[in-house]
Amino acid sequence: MNFLIELREGLAISWSAIRANKLRSVLTTLGIVIGIVTVTLMAAAIAGLDRSFVKSISFLGADVLYISRVDWFVNSNEAWVKMARRPEITLAQIDRLREKFPLARAIAPVTDTYRTVQYKKRNASDVDITGTTEQFPFTSSISVADGRFFSASESEKGRPVCVIGSEVATNLFPEESPLGQKISIGRKPFQVVGVLEKQGTFLGMSLDNQVIIPLAQLLGALGNYSEYSIRVKVSNVADLENAREELRATMRRVRHLAPTDPDDFSINQQDQILTIFHKVAGTIAAIGLFITGLSLFVGGVGIMNIMFVSVAERTREIGVRKAIGAKRRTILLQFLTEAATICLIGGLIGLAIAWTATFLLQKIMPAELSPMIVCISILVSLLTGVISGFLPAWRAARMNPVDALRNE
Amino acid sequence: MKSKTPMLLLVEFRESFFMAMGAVRAHKLRSALTLLGVLVGVFSIIVVMTAMRVLQNNIENQIGRLGSQTFMIRRAPGVIYNQPQGAGKIARRKNITLQQGLEFQERATFARSVGLQTTFWAGEIDTAHKKTAPDVQMLGETPGSFPARNWTLGEGRLLLGVDVDNARDVCVLGSGLATNLFGSSPPAGERVKIDGINYTVVGVLQPNGSSFGGEQDNFAVIPITTGLNRYGGDTWRSLDLLVQAAGPESYDDCVEQSEGLLRALRKVPPGEKNDFEISSNDSLIAQFKSFTFALRIGVMLVSSIALLAAGVGIMNIMLVSVTERTREIGIRRAIGAKKRNIMLQFIMEAVALCEIGGIAGVIFGIIGGNATAYFLKMPPAIPVDWVVIGLGMCSLVGIIFGTYPAWKAANLDPIESLRYE
Repeated sequence: MNFLIELREGLAISWSAIRANKLRSVLTTLGIVIGIVTVTLMAAAIAGLDRSFVKSISFLGADVLYISRVDWFVNSNEAWVKMARRPEITLAQIDRLREKFPLARAIAPVTDTYRTVQYKKRNASDVDITGTTEQFPFTSSISVADGRFFSASESEKGRPVCVIGSEVATNLFPEESPLGQKISIGRKPFQVVGVLEKQGTFLGMSLDNQVIIPLAQLLGALGNYSEYSIRVKVSNVADLENAREELRATMRRVRHLAPTDPDDFSINQQDQILTIFHKVAGTIAAIGLFITGLSLFVGGVGIMNIMFVSVAERTREIGVRKAIGAKRRTILLQFLTEAATICLIGGLIGLAIAWTATFLLQKIMPAELSPMIVCISILVSLLTGVISGFLPAWRAARMNPVDALRNE
Repeated sequence: MKSKTPMLLLVEFRESFFMAMGAVRAHKLRSALTLLGVLVGVFSIIVVMTAMRVLQNNIENQIGRLGSQTFMIRRAPGVIYNQPQGAGKIARRKNITLQQGLEFQERATFARSVGLQTTFWAGEIDTAHKKTAPDVQMLGETPGSFPARNWTLGEGRLLLGVDVDNARDVCVLGSGLATNLFGSSPPAGERVKIDGINYTVVGVLQPNGSSFGGEQDNFAVIPITTGLNRYGGDTWRSLDLLVQAAGPESYDDCVEQSEGLLRALRKVPPGEKNDFEISSNDSLIAQFKSFTFALRIGVMLVSSIALLAAGVGIMNIMLVSVTERTREIGIRRAIGAKKRNIMLQFIMEAVALCEIGGIAGVIFGIIGGNATAYFLKMPPAIPVDWVVIGLGMCSLVGIIFGTYPAWKAANLDPIESLRYE
């Protein structure tokens, strides 16, 4: 109760002190504002980048395992050379895997190539042509906006049908419906049976510049030969680790590995990319926050400096307060409140500026000012005030009342 | 009178400087805190720039392996970045074949030397005594590649035209590989087994430059024809051409003539774009620099913000200082100091504060930045240009934020200020 009264009194005194030296208070606050704005904007930019990356990667699916001959990430030349010598995954192996791995909800072999796609006079170059089976939609985040995906029988018989990405659709068919039309891929005609929904980009590559055709067509008509990877959707996400182990064991059997042989294939998943991304992003965030934190630090030093001046100037006032019975704690609290008030005001102004600036920032890059960041910013500015105000306040509190009263 | 002016100005400067130092010394804590602000601001610029310079030097070291006045022609650029024609078009370019390369070599009389090269295989190399880690590269080269790649002979001999013409099973080892396999005994004449085939070592190269960290010169060179016979792939493998110009003055001509010659050999119709890429050390380094340019500017801006905050702190403390020294100002004015003198005195004080802080910041920044060099085992660097820029920014901050308090001091009414408390 006593403490509350002291706090209220401290607040009132600091408010009048702040108002007494307007220019000084404004400049001190400005120092904090600059610091808080930069730190908050940096945090917002980092949070925004993080979220947009996680979002852009979600097309891989959290519950899908990707089997391929090599790891997605190889960090030494030696490991790379070793992996490059692994035998390829064959179609027969994929068939056997399908028989022997019941935990999967869907298994789709995938291989792709880049070709030019034509319709009448219009063409789209560098389109990613993916060859796969009817299981593919279950193992990825695509959904068909218009029409349908090709069926199991079309896939098995290798019918010349295709499902096209939204970018291909808008490029080739600006005004008519693509459904039922025949487009040519590598001079072979394919009938469009479906159009995919827009997916966006990943690392600057469009995911919509894509055509999906039955695997047999890619091998036969286009005569393409490149490596297969296998997408396996597990039936239960919670069981991902078990499924992964099970899948590994099955793949080893399928590829006839002796018990002592090391794996000659890799099972990749979305988490791997996320882990690496978080490592990189964490470093960037640490460096960015450190650099911007320095300007907040400078602001804090400015406050400490001006509080020392303020304490020296008000020596008499302190003496009088002490003489009429103020305790050390009361004086300490008074100056701490003053520093904290300045910082809090600076922090609030800084947040207001950062909030507006975030909107501008969003025009160039993803940024996000979450309530979490706002709370942390306010806390940080309060903390800056308390920390940088402590030494001056301590000096004021320990003054000898007699000497202080005698001060000029 | 006129001749005295510069002299007077100098005296005035000296006087202001001493007064500034006196004021700094009089308020040690206050000055120290003000300095600390500038110090941190400059530190943040210098530490980041030093760290980036260290990385940049290292990368330039890594990519700058070609000899002088040498450029490389390959089918596709090493890094495909924002290609207007798209990655697929590049992927469909025709390979540079051995036949094209040899014809180019024969007809490129304008160049000092032309080399063909490709990488055939990477793996472990055996001798009778030892086995390496499986990361040794086997390169196929012609005699012209050696000067172009800045490889000089350590002992034995280099590859000769006969080796290439007859596709002989000989090899030249990089110095790192040679020491690894044979230690100090002379390797020439020894036999090594690469990918199951025995090759006779005819020579060893000299160590190439000094790069910290990472293994260097870990490769074996065989005649390109030997490799092509063994590994095939004239149909799917694309060779790189290394061309060395006769001198710096004929370099540009040489690039142009090579371009024309290769276009003719590859039958590129006039008006079409080149279906190959020409790259040199300079173009690679320039590419890297433009890549990091935005990053450097961004970092500089963010770091300068701390300096801005420090400037605000200086202005604040200078204002306090002016108020406290109102009497002193009054006395100076009363005994004849002009407004200009007072102004100079206070600006000088601000700049002196900034510069002391700035120099300390530069020192700490260079130490901090080179700590990264130490941890990453790279050679240290001192970004002289950024030191100058940093100190310049310090003075600028001192002048900008010192001007208002100085102006306020200069415009005090002398009578009023004498009467001040």
